[in-house]
Amino acid sequence: MAEHVAKSPALDVPPEPPAKRIKLSPQPKKQDADDSGPASPSATPLVADLAEQLDAQERNKYVKGKKLGSGQYADVFSAYLVTDPTQLVAIKKIKVGAEVKEMGISYDSLREIRFLQELDHPNIIKLYSVFSTKNQNLNLVLEQLPQGDLLKLIQDTQNISYTPADVKAWMLMLMRAVHFCHANFILHRDIKPNNLLIAANGEIKLADFGLARSFADPYQPMTYNTITIWYRPPELFFQAQFYGGAVDVWSCGAVFAELISRDVLFRAWPESEMNMVKLICEKVGTPTEENWPGVSKLKGYVTPTEIQPVRPKDYWLANFRTIGEIGVDLLMKMLTLDPKVRLSAEGVLKHEYWTSAPRPSKLEALPRKGGGIEVMGEDLKRRGGEVPGKENERGDKVARKIDFGAAK
Amino acid sequence: MSRLAQQKSSPVARRDGGAVRPPGDSLLTPQDGELPTRQMDRMSLSYSTHTDSPATEVCPVCKSTKYMNPNLKFLVNPVCYHKMCESCVDRLFSHGPAPCPIKGCSETLRKNRFRKQTFEDIKVEREVDIRKKVAQVFNRREEEFASLREYNDYLNDVEDITFNLINNIDIEETQRRFKNHEDKWKENIVENASLAQQEQMLYAEQQKAEREQAKRRREEARREEMEERKEAEATRRDMLRRLENGQDPEEVKKERAAVQLKKRQNRQDAANRQSQLKAADATNGSSSFVIKGLKNKKAKLEPEAPVDPFGGLTFEHSYFSLQDDYVWEGLREAKRDPLIAAGGYDIASFTGRALCEAFSGLGVMVADEAVERERLNEPETLSTTKAEIAAKDVKMEDPF
Repeated sequence: MAEHVAKSPALDVPPEPPAKRIKLSPQPKKQDADDSGPASPSATPLVADLAEQLDAQERNKYVKGKKLGSGQYADVFSAYLVTDPTQLVAIKKIKVGAEVKEMGISYDSLREIRFLQELDHPNIIKLYSVFSTKNQNLNLVLEQLPQGDLLKLIQDTQNISYTPADVKAWMLMLMRAVHFCHANFILHRDIKPNNLLIAANGEIKLADFGLARSFADPYQPMTYNTITIWYRPPELFFQAQFYGGAVDVWSCGAVFAELISRDVLFRAWPESEMNMVKLICEKVGTPTEENWPGVSKLKGYVTPTEIQPVRPKDYWLANFRTIGEIGVDLLMKMLTLDPKVRLSAEGVLKHEYWTSAPRPSKLEALPRKGGGIEVMGEDLKRRGGEVPGKENERGDKVARKIDFGAAK
Repeated sequence: MSRLAQQKSSPVARRDGGAVRPPGDSLLTPQDGELPTRQMDRMSLSYSTHTDSPATEVCPVCKSTKYMNPNLKFLVNPVCYHKMCESCVDRLFSHGPAPCPIKGCSETLRKNRFRKQTFEDIKVEREVDIRKKVAQVFNRREEEFASLREYNDYLNDVEDITFNLINNIDIEETQRRFKNHEDKWKENIVENASLAQQEQMLYAEQQKAEREQAKRRREEARREEMEERKEAEATRRDMLRRLENGQDPEEVKKERAAVQLKKRQNRQDAANRQSQLKAADATNGSSSFVIKGLKNKKAKLEPEAPVDPFGGLTFEHSYFSLQDDYVWEGLREAKRDPLIAAGGYDIASFTGRALCEAFSGLGVMVADEAVERERLNEPETLSTTKAEIAAKDVKMEDPF
């Protein structure tokens, strides 16, 4: 970079100092060039500390290809392994933002790295490696999932049709992933169709752990301003600060309903919290002390004056008949107002829906073509909590406004 | 398994000594169709000494020779494969079953089982018989197997059994396996046999049809050729006659060329029409065009295992069992707090996590793992060391 500036005669300002840290105690390079793989010796500076050597070693394992997507938050590239060019990966290069200036790393990437590198499950996106490039840019090496996301499948009503068995297969994969997270004491907090990416073999992979956190200790408050608004459970609208895995189950229930009806279940418009509460009251029932003991004690408890009794099974059956009575039963239990009564992820997997007919579709039988590799680029570059397709619009950053002061 | 080694160690050739029989022999009861055993070996050597010149073949029973009696025919019985002449067979076995006259062989033979030898080498004769018999019972088809691998394993087993029977290795065990298979697959064997028969018939029919077609084509070609020749002859004569009548040779020549051109065109049109008709036939599906060697594979579907919603994943903790309630005022207070309960906070998840974290790492021997890693020579990366946190007891299996 400095070189480039110096060549330009139009600029007579002195070149910027290099952004890299200045080594105070230059150490002789311990490893030889052959140790760091096939990269040219010039790729690794001759003088580097151990951390930088390791970083370069990791960085040189991959060959970056074309850009798949670019957003405010991150750029996504296709890449492959130097040793095996058939092994494709996606590199998510996180852009340097205000948070990074302040603390060196953004919250989202910190969370993503922290949780993804510990989770190893067939239905959760794999994080292979992390390295930094110049300017301390953070690069996450993720599994490449070329088949797009579930949202594209849901929205493409023209070309794609799927059966209740397909819905069951997708939901089963999602619930396994969520159960795995919860069993490892991690809340995902941003489950929605466009965070469910589809692998080449049709498997669903839960992605975007930018809003995840581990289970809190008792009396340790968590933020209620999380989860994309359409998939947010009522307790978070009522500003509960002590919650558990039930929040993810509500999101899964909303995804379930969306898969069946091919429309967002609680599509509040405009996306205000009040509208969401109104919609939930209308579609599920008004939360009251009878159906949710203690709800009125919650800080943000507000309901419309007109009380809608909890909707009976017939109401749900009328709307979601295609998945059958057992499926509707599970959907109702996932979308129960009271989080204590709502099924846990484990409880959902124990429901008889999965073992009853029809059998979940085989992977190879699932519909594909929910977009291409570019969709993955789109999905990964987005930040958590954003409503898809409406960037730069009012309300698209609602879930972003996490009140970290309150969450301490 | 090394067949060669076994073959070498097995007593392939033993001299005719009949007096001492190995104890195993008594267990082999060579009845009709039963697979013959060691007598075979005894006999084979004595046979081979005489095979040098067929002209001097001697019946071992009546000692008459081919030289003396050119009509001498030798027969064998697939029980013991001892060779004797036709007249001996008539003489000895006309009145019902009788013991084999060869010294040291006490098999009871029946006349109707005697047959002419197909192969000169009696061992080959016997092997072919055994192979036929095995193939009758082991007639499973490739379509019945899900993968080529399984089918090949099956074929390997069959060959093992066949080989053992031929070379008298582990006869009892092999006979038992043979019997087991026969009992187990009884219906399948019958079904496959009839299938094979049908296929054979179909194939024969196809062959016949093909031959017929080829014959027709040849005849057609011959006829055409004849006609052409006849026509050429006729035109030549016609031309000569015209010339005799004193027509202008140039004109005659021109006329002839025109006639020939026309005829050729006619023939071409006819051929075109023919081929079009044939093509139409083919599209109607009535063509006799067959692709040999292609068959559609269909593995018999096995019943699918019931769906396991957890995908084989279990979270069992071997070091502790979670209690519903713990005597700790802080926890009990939290449990009573309506604010905590209303939000859906689960105390059990906290206690479970606390216990899990307290015990995780127990039973993990870092030194052992390091040794293991060194053995595998896996370059370890600092950034993505897979840290298995609470999932210490997790068992992962195939997700689907």
